[in-house]
Amino acid sequence: MSFRVKGLAKAYKDPQGIPFEAVGPVDLNVPEGQFLCLLGPTGCGKTTILRLLSGLEKPTSGACDTGSGRLSYVFQQGALFPWLTVESNVSFPLRARGTGKREAETASRRILEQVGLSGFEKSFPHELSGGMQQRTALARGLVTEPDLLLLDEPFGSLDERTSIVLQEMVYELCTRLSTTVVFVTHNIEEAVFLGDRVVVMGHRPGRIARDEMVSLPRPRDRMSSDFTDLMLSFRRTFEELVEPS
Amino acid sequence: MHLHLPGLALPVLLLLVWQLSGGSGMLPALSSVIEVLIHPSRDLLSCGSLLWSTSVSVIRVVLGLLLSILLGTPLGFAMGTSRMFRRFTSVVTELARPLSPLALLPLSIVVFKDTNLAEVFGAEHLKYSRHIFNELQLGMLFILGWGGVFPVILETMHGVRSVRNVYLEAARVLGAGRLYTLRHVLLPAALPDIFAGYRMAAGRCWMVIIAAEMLPGTNSGLGYLIRYSYQLSRFDVMLACIFVVSIIGLLLSRGLEAAGEKSLLLRAGER
Repeated sequence: MSFRVKGLAKAYKDPQGIPFEAVGPVDLNVPEGQFLCLLGPTGCGKTTILRLLSGLEKPTSGACDTGSGRLSYVFQQGALFPWLTVESNVSFPLRARGTGKREAETASRRILEQVGLSGFEKSFPHELSGGMQQRTALARGLVTEPDLLLLDEPFGSLDERTSIVLQEMVYELCTRLSTTVVFVTHNIEEAVFLGDRVVVMGHRPGRIARDEMVSLPRPRDRMSSDFTDLMLSFRRTFEELVEPS
Repeated sequence: MHLHLPGLALPVLLLLVWQLSGGSGMLPALSSVIEVLIHPSRDLLSCGSLLWSTSVSVIRVVLGLLLSILLGTPLGFAMGTSRMFRRFTSVVTELARPLSPLALLPLSIVVFKDTNLAEVFGAEHLKYSRHIFNELQLGMLFILGWGGVFPVILETMHGVRSVRNVYLEAARVLGAGRLYTLRHVLLPAALPDIFAGYRMAAGRCWMVIIAAEMLPGTNSGLGYLIRYSYQLSRFDVMLACIFVVSIIGLLLSRGLEAAGEKSLLLRAGER
């Protein structure tokens, strides 16, 4: 699903009641099937943009037209329901939308197999490792075959090896479903590895500092000089963003 | 309560002291109390058996507890989810909560007379027999409901309000409507607190009923038997009743704890 964002801005009030702009205004045009990485330092309003896109928050001004497509969200810490089994967690979005029990079960088992969690259907989230919990969260985000998937630093708390495995997996699954993706991260390597396009966000108010298509061929080789050159170039952009103190 | 050796030492010691000092002064001999306890179906002081008095008190409490649960849970939910409703009810609940149910006993007798469930269900033919329906006065159930409903309301409200926001947001972006979220997110997430409320309510109801039975309005139940045995200076019966009160209170609390255990386990896993 393609979507467009125009003049999107969000202001909050600080504890003294003085409003400050967290985001924007931001313009963005995302064609169908694009894997977009939203890259930026902590606190630059990346998460706010996702929350605005998903409708969890209302913009102060501007609009995001995500149309009538099916939307899904994967949270930073997974936000799995601890009282539900892995399978029930995954079938939650289907059941909530009124899908029959058996049908939801079949669909969840299929996606759980694809994320490599067969055999853990009846486990509870706290019985799983962090990586497996994020696999479950991914499965829950993808089980509805969404038109637009929003991911908020889904692998931020995982170790590097696990994170790399899951990056490859999430790219493959989203491509297979031709889902449009907005993937929020503060990790440059992750963004360069995953993104068809990388959008760098700057600080306060969060706005687009750099918007670049990544033309590196896939599968991408993290060791190649093109890859590291691009990473370096993004790192420079990052440094320029940091305000001199 | 785990029964282990150090835990058993103190009660055994106390019983021993009692037995050795036995029969002197106010305290009856231990053996006479045990005598009452091991014949629970023998009539005591023409008030029916110990078993009968215990059943009367227990059934009153169970019904009163059910009343508080049925009223308190939805009210707590409403107060937990709607700020409007919480503000609307706050003054009344804040004023009503610290009011001892016993303070309301005379009023409840005025309001409900001595109407009991036998009359409510039109079973007048039971009137002169010893039937449990005759002993379930509406006034008693009212004050038990009063005693139990506030812990249920407050704990349910607290449980609902302390559900982590990320679960509610997750439910929302995953397409759950209000009703589905209520049933499948708010309820399970708040369940440990809700059960804690039920347990507190059971404890309060049990305290209230024993005291209430000593006051006007009834002539049955363990509380009544304790007071009546005091009047007749039958301290063996009195102490046996006190022992039963303590044991039943413990069982009530443990029973509800076991019922809530599963939900507590799940929440423990969240951390």
